Amino acid sequence: MIRVLTLLMAALLILPIAAEAQKPIKVGMPMPLSGPPALFGEPATKGAQMYVDEINAKGGVLGRKIELLTRDSKADANEAVRVARELILKENVDFLVGTLTSAEGPAVSVVAKENKIVFIAPIPKTDQLTAADKLHPYVFRVAANTTMEGRSAAEIVAKWPVTKVATIAFDYAYGQDVTKAFVEHIKKLKPSVEIVDQQWPKLGEQDYNPFINAQMAKKPEAVVSSIWGGFFVTFSKQAKALGYFDAVKYNFIGLGEAGSPETTKSMGADYPTGIWGNSYDAFYWEDNPGPHKEYTARISKYLKDGYPSSWAIQGYIGMQFLVEAIKKANSADSDKVAKALLGLSVDTPVGKLTLREKDHQANRGQLYGKTVKDAKYPFSIMKPVTYVDPTKFMD
Amino acid sequence: MIQKIPWTLLVFAAAFFVPAAGSRYYTFLANDVVIWALFATSLNLLVGYTGLVSFGHAAYFGIGAYTTGVLMKKMGISFLLAFPAAGVLAGLFALVFGFFCVRLTRIYFAMLTLAFAQIVWAICFKWNEVTGGEQGMPEIPYPNFDWLEKIAAWLPFVGGYRTSDYFYFLSLVLVAVCLWLLRRVVGSPFGRMLTTIRENPERAEFIGVNVRRYELAAFVVAGAFAGLAGGLFGIFNRGVFPDFAYWTKSSEVLIMTLLGGMGTFIGPALGALVLIWLNQQIVSYTQYWPLVLGLILIVLLFVFPGGIAGAVESAARRLRRRSAHA
Amino acid sequence: MPDPSFVFAQSLSGLTAAMFLFLIASGLSLIFGVLRVLNFAHGTFYMLGAYGAYQFVQWLGATGARFWLAALLAALGVAVLGGIIERFLFQRLYGKEELYQLLFTYALVLVLGDAAKIFWGTQQKSLSRPPGLTGALSLFGATIPYYNLFIILLGPAIALGFWFALQRTRAGRFIRAAALDRETLGALGVNVNALYTGVFVLASFLGGLGGALITPMRAIVPGMDTEVIVEAFVVVVIGGLGSFWGTFLGALIYGQVLSFGILFFPRFSIFSIFALMAAVLIIRPWGLLGKPLK
Repeated sequence: MIRVLTLLMAALLILPIAAEAQKPIKVGMPMPLSGPPALFGEPATKGAQMYVDEINAKGGVLGRKIELLTRDSKADANEAVRVARELILKENVDFLVGTLTSAEGPAVSVVAKENKIVFIAPIPKTDQLTAADKLHPYVFRVAANTTMEGRSAAEIVAKWPVTKVATIAFDYAYGQDVTKAFVEHIKKLKPSVEIVDQQWPKLGEQDYNPFINAQMAKKPEAVVSSIWGGFFVTFSKQAKALGYFDAVKYNFIGLGEAGSPETTKSMGADYPTGIWGNSYDAFYWEDNPGPHKEYTARISKYLKDGYPSSWAIQGYIGMQFLVEAIKKANSADSDKVAKALLGLSVDTPVGKLTLREKDHQANRGQLYGKTVKDAKYPFSIMKPVTYVDPTKFMD
Repeated sequence: MIQKIPWTLLVFAAAFFVPAAGSRYYTFLANDVVIWALFATSLNLLVGYTGLVSFGHAAYFGIGAYTTGVLMKKMGISFLLAFPAAGVLAGLFALVFGFFCVRLTRIYFAMLTLAFAQIVWAICFKWNEVTGGEQGMPEIPYPNFDWLEKIAAWLPFVGGYRTSDYFYFLSLVLVAVCLWLLRRVVGSPFGRMLTTIRENPERAEFIGVNVRRYELAAFVVAGAFAGLAGGLFGIFNRGVFPDFAYWTKSSEVLIMTLLGGMGTFIGPALGALVLIWLNQQIVSYTQYWPLVLGLILIVLLFVFPGGIAGAVESAARRLRRRSAHA
Repeated sequence: MPDPSFVFAQSLSGLTAAMFLFLIASGLSLIFGVLRVLNFAHGTFYMLGAYGAYQFVQWLGATGARFWLAALLAALGVAVLGGIIERFLFQRLYGKEELYQLLFTYALVLVLGDAAKIFWGTQQKSLSRPPGLTGALSLFGATIPYYNLFIILLGPAIALGFWFALQRTRAGRFIRAAALDRETLGALGVNVNALYTGVFVLASFLGGLGGALITPMRAIVPGMDTEVIVEAFVVVVIGGLGSFWGTFLGALIYGQVLSFGILFFPRFSIFSIFALMAAVLIIRPWGLLGKPLK
């Protein structure tokens, strides 16, 4: 009788602990899933989900499965804050991995700070996210930042036979910061460069005609644009019709991933082939370090797409860092994971990336290249495509 | 017997127990309801009591939010000053905008309120240096609650609350005071005159009432209280963003007022509670909340134009009549 | 002094935007003039016209004249939808307070907007320019795409067509009469209800057509309805609620202010549109070419 009771008591004691161990690790993922930004946001969530599925198939991390809760942030800072708080307060998520625009990122970072939840930003680029006055122990970024992107662009444009350069960017943190970084750096590299025009359409603009006309009037020889996502599709359709690309002889670099496969694929023959662009990933990128080929095969199968999206990788890498940090900390406690993330190096499909302690920023470079038509694919690709290591751009 | 029970006082007291009884999430929802209740009641002063349909009430909400935000975050001014400033500045803008609006009637009035609200939005959206532009102003500091924590340390069963809980208590008290003030306004001769103006503006003019001045006063009071609601909301939301002033925000609060019932004082607050609760429930099942809201609105307009409060009141009247006959 | 060819190009882009707005706003103005209701759902009709054009192009293909057929079918579909809504739902609200009618149109925005999301998803869609109008011509040093030119010419053509219809046909006379005094018109034996339905159908057709025709130039996205309705309000207010030529003038002014605003005061171009709207309402509430409401 006593033995039965003891066993029963032991079972009752172990059960909650076992149940506790079985509870999944919840990760909240606010991401734009509607409208033009969804072109980038939706595949990012899929990439994250693929990694989560892979980890869960191997038994999860620390014996616990990972549960990814995605929410549509509508690429709006206010909405992102709202869904982030709902995820934290209602769903009790342990971590946040997400946001896309540079308006959402800093806003959600504040929420993460106050609730002491680790927040890994896989996409927002604005320097302000990790700037000295905004940095806190819980925010981390595995995307490139505007300093890296602006300076990489400056290096490329400096090699062009041009002196009159114009910029066009959305009037918010990302557009402003990347343009500023570009202008500062190109003036250093090539003092003869003159910025003849700057246009600032609002984020979400649908009619770019007046901006395009105004810019063409100043007769620039080259353009640096950071119009992104579905907005780039609309912009370039209108620009092409007005002869914008011809006017600058295709000396145009589309930052904000205008060279990404999903952009070129969705535009088909309408794409202004001949411009430069960048991208986080490209399934056709051949000479790469890291297990890229194998990753591409997996994501292609997961997305059921022969030409898989380039954005999945950022969701994937974001989750990679989180899981590796949990493993290193041997705990799902936010403070311990935050400490584990400092200086953490992870072998990602694009090579080894390290989150530096100084500003929680990873040395995530991007692929840059000039777009050309390739007989192998029904859309344009960047060729030759080069991975620009950002380490020299990071102060 | 039922009339004698001080229902409002009971609800007010019960509301204090939400953080203790429920999870952080319920406190979050309750805080949301409380602030929107004030916003909706302020609008009802214009729509329900004075008969002026405004499509731009969110302008004052936004002005209040940005005022408190800028003062507390950028200038480090304490909440004690920043909060009333929200009401004052919103009231001032309501005075200027309202002066032009009340000279118009019906659809023109509505269009001008909309135009002014969009102007406020456009400024908040583009004035990057002051308002943060598209990004808005994330991280509005909470008011300083040290004094409250000291008090809580003395009392036995109280204490151990988070900052967000303290802010909830503060919102509850402030909104209760504001609602009490609005109730006084509505019950005063001034308030009764507004109802007369709504029912027959020509007759009011005929008996010598300066209709425009009364309407402007109502406009300013409504705007000021909306500004106070905005000031609270900016802090609650942990950030102030331009779409606080966008026209769809104005329509949200208008629907809330209609849902609860424009004919009673407590209607809009009830509408706020029901709408926010309903939103929470629906959103866990489907992303198509606007569809559900639209259908509810259509049902309201065709079947229950008096809103929930109106429906309850007419049901109560029918019951009383039946019991009187029995 | 800005380059003349640039001024020309900028004014043309303003004209193009204006003509689209005119198409949408004319329907809005018509509904207001006759039914005395400001239809918030008009932006939704525009959006449904765009999605409809996209859908018909998927079914029919975009070769030859198919795009135009798709656009026409989409506009007709929206017109039918408008007629059904008016006949079975909206008519029941005619006796009631204006606020209820307004809020009903807003409820339509919510319901139809989500219905579009259910059918077509949330990702943006786009169409290419129809064959035959893909190129551009060079005029006074500016490049003008043929499609833009087509729209610029179509706008006034529709305006004139309308004006003729309103002045010369029997139905047109009834519409003008209903705008002035519907009670008397009813007393004279005209089926005013059928007239109202007809007006709503016509206005929805115009809105849907505007949306269908804009698809080669802009993306089809959720949220295009709430954005365009405010623009349409501005146009109709500036020109004069209920005035047909007022709407045309309002659209022209809007297009040019936005176009040149971006050049001369880029930070304030959005602000200046609404400031203009407020100014008109303050100084001359019935708009530039409108008449005071009784």
